[in-house]
Amino acid sequence: MEILRVENLSFRYPNGEGESDFALSDINFSVSRGEFVVLCGVSGCGKTTLLRLIKKECAPAGEKSGRIFYNGVPLEDTENAGEIGFVGQNPECGIVTDKVWHELAFGLENMGLSTDAIRRRVGETASFFGIQSIFRKKTDELSGGQKQLLNLASVMVMGPKLLLLDEPTSRLDPIAAADFISTLQKLNRETGLSIILSEHRLEEVLPTADRVILMENGKILICDAPRKIGERLAEENSRHPMMRAMPSAVRIYRGLDMRGESPLTVREGRDFLLNNFSGAARSDKDFCGGEAKEIKEAKEKESERTAENKKSRRDFGVLAAEMKNVWFRYGRALPDVLRGVSFDVRRGEAFCILGGNGVGKTTALNVLAGLDRAYRGSVSVNGKRISEYRGASLYRENLAYLPQDTSALFVKDTVIEDLCEIFSMAGVKKSDREALAAELAKKAGLSHLLRRHPYDVSGGEMQRLALCKVLISKPKILLLDEPTIGLDAFSKDELRNIIKGLKSDGVAVLAVTHDAEFAAECADRCALFFDGEILSVAEPSLFFSENNFYTTAANRIARDIWKDAVTCGEVVRRCKEYCGS
Amino acid sequence: MKAFKNFHPVSLAVYFLSVLTVLMFTKNPVLQAEALVGAALFLGALQGVGTLLSDAPFYLALFAMTALTNPLFSHNGVTPLFFMNGNPVTLEALLYGVSLAATVIGALILCRCFCDVMTSDKILYLAMAASPKFSLVLSMALRFIPMLVKRFHRVERAQRTMGLYSGKSVSDRVKFHVRVFLSMIPWTLENAMETSASMRARGYGKYIKRAEKIKNGKNVKNVKCEKKKRTNFSLFKFTPRDAALIFVCLLSFGISLLGEAFFSVGFEYYPRLGALRLTAWSAAVYAVFGAVTFMPFLIEVKEALVWKYCVSKI
Repeated sequence: MEILRVENLSFRYPNGEGESDFALSDINFSVSRGEFVVLCGVSGCGKTTLLRLIKKECAPAGEKSGRIFYNGVPLEDTENAGEIGFVGQNPECGIVTDKVWHELAFGLENMGLSTDAIRRRVGETASFFGIQSIFRKKTDELSGGQKQLLNLASVMVMGPKLLLLDEPTSRLDPIAAADFISTLQKLNRETGLSIILSEHRLEEVLPTADRVILMENGKILICDAPRKIGERLAEENSRHPMMRAMPSAVRIYRGLDMRGESPLTVREGRDFLLNNFSGAARSDKDFCGGEAKEIKEAKEKESERTAENKKSRRDFGVLAAEMKNVWFRYGRALPDVLRGVSFDVRRGEAFCILGGNGVGKTTALNVLAGLDRAYRGSVSVNGKRISEYRGASLYRENLAYLPQDTSALFVKDTVIEDLCEIFSMAGVKKSDREALAAELAKKAGLSHLLRRHPYDVSGGEMQRLALCKVLISKPKILLLDEPTIGLDAFSKDELRNIIKGLKSDGVAVLAVTHDAEFAAECADRCALFFDGEILSVAEPSLFFSENNFYTTAANRIARDIWKDAVTCGEVVRRCKEYCGS
Repeated sequence: MKAFKNFHPVSLAVYFLSVLTVLMFTKNPVLQAEALVGAALFLGALQGVGTLLSDAPFYLALFAMTALTNPLFSHNGVTPLFFMNGNPVTLEALLYGVSLAATVIGALILCRCFCDVMTSDKILYLAMAASPKFSLVLSMALRFIPMLVKRFHRVERAQRTMGLYSGKSVSDRVKFHVRVFLSMIPWTLENAMETSASMRARGYGKYIKRAEKIKNGKNVKNVKCEKKKRTNFSLFKFTPRDAALIFVCLLSFGISLLGEAFFSVGFEYYPRLGALRLTAWSAAVYAVFGAVTFMPFLIEVKEALVWKYCVSKI
């Protein structure tokens, strides 16, 4: 039985004029009861608009045609706001009240339920979502993941039949995001809830989805089962930007031009490789003849690699920044966050620090950026101790810092005012500033954003603008805090290209990230941060192949055959090599 | 040791109001002493003896100052102790000063207890009785303010790394903070819009349309709009224990005021010290008010003993 049907839906925002300005055009689809539908597409393709139109209380103003039916009734005639639940992108903004229990009760209060009824439903919901332990806490004490889970719970407490989620995990770290997704799967499986989820991180979501709707320019491009989406996408356009967003198994499968239903999970992908390419692993062994030789060879390789590593380290040239045995804590009575951190970054290299949540990665960046002061150890930037920099000299043509929340870099009403201000600090004449800013934006392909308010640009665009802004001061070292959070695959690619360009200009890039895929593809060296210190530093292929858990999906798929293949491209290349030989 | 905190907010409010009112109106030294000692013990039980001792010098100094200031300015009374600048310093004025000091310090300590006991959710609950909407707004403000402060610090730090206005001069510092502060305004508005969307999505302010079609006609316009009543949920439960507390408080409040007005509990300092007469009524007032003022302390102590006893049994 279908719970939602969308017929010929078109929508245009009030400022849109021509035919091309339709945010949505001619959307047709239906969702049956208990179905888990994933909505994907590059940012700006109309996913959010579509979801908001289905939730009539959140519908944007504009010109709408076509019809939406909920349970066979036109959406306008439905009465109960609790029937269709909506969870937005920003975990902060969804929360209304100051206490967790009050937040859970908020929707039920609006429904006019009695105190006893509310007490029961709130208790039951809190138990299901496992948030009893935070029940009496203040909402601003929660972590991002807990906040988003609370948002979900306070919508689910009203007992919706259809749940709409607009990129709910885009601001969460991968671990919290995976928790959130698994809660959604539990809801779908155990309560038969119908879910429409828009998402750009498809690796975890796609395997449990019943159907995928892929949108492009306000139209539905593909609507099919997850296993067929890879092939259908290739039929449309083999170089479609969404291909990069697909799970690693699909990307490897498609990279080898295989036909038919694709594997989705790491397990299926690994089985596929083992069935077809296990010869590659065996032939290696046969060639070496026995295990002893294999180990010997591995050791040889290892020493070769370290030698190479040393050589390449020398090639990287001058030291850009260095931390030696740095200790830091936020307060006298608080525990140490950094416990003897030592590392160095050289010019022209990208250094990625990976690690879980709250282990102190960002704190290390803050100390390096001079925002927090270490109480023991030495921090130097460009050969000068950080305490020797006076005033803003550390930030002039020297060090730039891109925080996780890039919007914090913009304080004016339009983007161009913010850029001009930086030029004014550099001593550029007033008449030249705007021209310089415009030229800069043109180079980065961001000219159309200059007159906008910083809050009116998308996450990917915001980040490019922010990078543009911090690079005006021509830094020699760039610090990035979680640069890939909230970015779609397309924006990630762009970021990678920017970093590549910076590297060739001799800039040292230090990124702190959760994103193993990103680190594998763009870093020259990776390090694991745990318990306040840096544990291992190595080039990505060695770093990830040594890890059992903290590694890329592509590496998990291929590690039984090629232990050191860490990116999808690498796996595909080796498969093709094997086929060729 | 937080037994008294667990009373219902209404009972707690009645408790504080009744004790504070009696303390403000009475000049009876027995009642004042009871209130002062009771409040001090209460604070000690709430925040520990250490805090009480470390704060004691402040209270004693304030006490002495208040007590000594009165006789310097008020020369009423019939028993001069000595003369200063040709003005009599009287025993009555001195004792009245002490009484005044007891009232002020007692009220101060009680207010500190109040702040400790009445947490934000209790205040919100009480505000709900006055106006549910105001209570909701208050709750949203309590949610919003920490978020704003966090955002402010985040922007401040981000701006610092841009190297703007980071000179040591006053004008640079002012400029730096002003531009960060100004950027909070659009952010607040943006945030408010998203929050209101989240509220609407959960049915806030929704009109329930009830079509009351006239039996014979099909007049679609005749749709009665009726706002569905919003209920207010709280975690507090009103138990017999809470009712008992209210009853005792009101009883002590009633007989104290009546006694003050008619039944020889009243006390005068001027022109001559009155006498404390022990009548049945005044004895009852002393006993009941004393019970009320010492109750929080006794409850905390009892709870601690019960706890110890339970632990020792394990």
